[in-house]
Amino acid sequence: MPREVEVSVNERAFIQQALQENVRLDGRAFDAFRPLELTFGDEYGVADVQLGKTRVIARISVDVTAPLPERKFDGIFQIVAEFSPMASPAFEVGRPTDAEVILSRILEKAIRRSNALDTESLCIIAGLKCFALRADVHIIDHDGGLIDASCIAVMAALQHFRRPDVVVEGEKATILSVREREPIPLSILHQPLCVTFSCYEDGERILIDANLAEEQVRQEEVIVTMNRHGEVCQVAKYGGATVEPLALLNCINMASQKVKEISKFIQTKLEEDAKKRDAGGLMAELSAENER
Amino acid sequence: MPLDTSIYPLALLRLDGRRWNELRRIHAQVSVQAAADGSSYLEMGNTRVICVVLGPAEGKDKGQRGAREGEAKVGVEIAVAGFSGMERRRRVGNKRTSEMQHCLSTAFSSLLFTHLYPHSTISISIHILSQDGSLLAACLNAATLALIDAGIPMSDYLTACTVASSASSSSSDTATSDPLLDLNGLEEQELPFLTIGAVGEKVSVLMLETRVRMERVEGMLAVGVEGCKRVRAILDGVVRTYEKKFG
Repeated sequence: MPREVEVSVNERAFIQQALQENVRLDGRAFDAFRPLELTFGDEYGVADVQLGKTRVIARISVDVTAPLPERKFDGIFQIVAEFSPMASPAFEVGRPTDAEVILSRILEKAIRRSNALDTESLCIIAGLKCFALRADVHIIDHDGGLIDASCIAVMAALQHFRRPDVVVEGEKATILSVREREPIPLSILHQPLCVTFSCYEDGERILIDANLAEEQVRQEEVIVTMNRHGEVCQVAKYGGATVEPLALLNCINMASQKVKEISKFIQTKLEEDAKKRDAGGLMAELSAENER
Repeated sequence: MPLDTSIYPLALLRLDGRRWNELRRIHAQVSVQAAADGSSYLEMGNTRVICVVLGPAEGKDKGQRGAREGEAKVGVEIAVAGFSGMERRRRVGNKRTSEMQHCLSTAFSSLLFTHLYPHSTISISIHILSQDGSLLAACLNAATLALIDAGIPMSDYLTACTVASSASSSSSDTATSDPLLDLNGLEEQELPFLTIGAVGEKVSVLMLETRVRMERVEGMLAVGVEGCKRVRAILDGVVRTYEKKFG
């Protein structure tokens, strides 16, 4: 099993000392994200997120299957996150590392279990047919902050995605192709986004969005998932150094601010993209959505 | 049939008749298994776990996989018995147990004085015999006891409990929201809750898996830290009576 290259003793000491002097190696403030870049693909449901040197691509695809027997009225939604050796030599296919399990578990809890996507709207005929949505997360480049970047990518891709329209007549469902009917956006109930905090010196110094080197030096991480309405969807702090409860509350407050900023960023990017697609100004007429 | 928590605001009594800040009965034993270096059996209400600690011993695999230079590796294995839940299951939540394993391993590798045992492995194996809420908390508590029984030095007890917020996450009136301590399985399914593991006054483990208003978290944390203190007193009592009997 290949292992991640550990930071050298010198580098470790250097980062720690710099932090004691309130300096981060890349000159950011403690509560600053790296420059965030978000682009959408030509197809619906492809989002490419760049967070500093970290790069993650999420892709949504849809299929029609039978729903699970115990959940007849729900569609199926799954998130598949796999580390590929492309991102870092430490990743190996078919052998999930701890980090990989944690990533997919956090995404699962943050997005699926918090009901960000209304799975009932994916149902076509109860008990017989439903849409099966799949979000594939590809990690292209790894420089820390994978959880934050993947969560942004999945949420942006979900909001960007359009599913084909269906016409149901009795037991017969016809999927209308993109040419026949304008595809419809998914019904998204809220947008959870993750913010990872890294703690140093027993919780004395807390950084947002650590890069890989900072991640390797940190004592522990606190992953907070929130939406812009001020709801905490998930918090995970798996052991590590102990922290004052007040510092944790501070983290949650900070996360709520950051999440609002990122949500706004995603929204503007989505609007830009929509404008680009809406070349002839026909979108409003084509749309099958009802004005509510 | 009082099977949902919506009646709580009326009587201020929970499904099993407890008040908001009451723990369930905690029964614990140490040294339950003679062959192991340390072992414990813990019941928190109807949640039952057995924990066995082996080591510190020479690591099985070469080259100290996953452990840092000069420190012992803490390996954790959690086995969920098929009969532990309401329905019999062959394989229970693969990812969930591996997340719990990761949580226990990171929590204890910073709590234990692992630098005293370089090139060795401390392996904790936990068997979940019965599940009725607060599973992660029970695992953490049982592991703490077993590690104490094994005589591995650590800075303090790591004790854990769960706290819920009794109003549903959608209503925003804070007046009716009450934190509830130590949930059973039914409450856990209905209410937003967090699991907190504390060392003294400080938080080591914090897991929140359901949606909740951010204003609620403060109250939940405060009750949680207080609850952990009470669990600590109980576990400390268990260790001390054992010590008197056999020490």
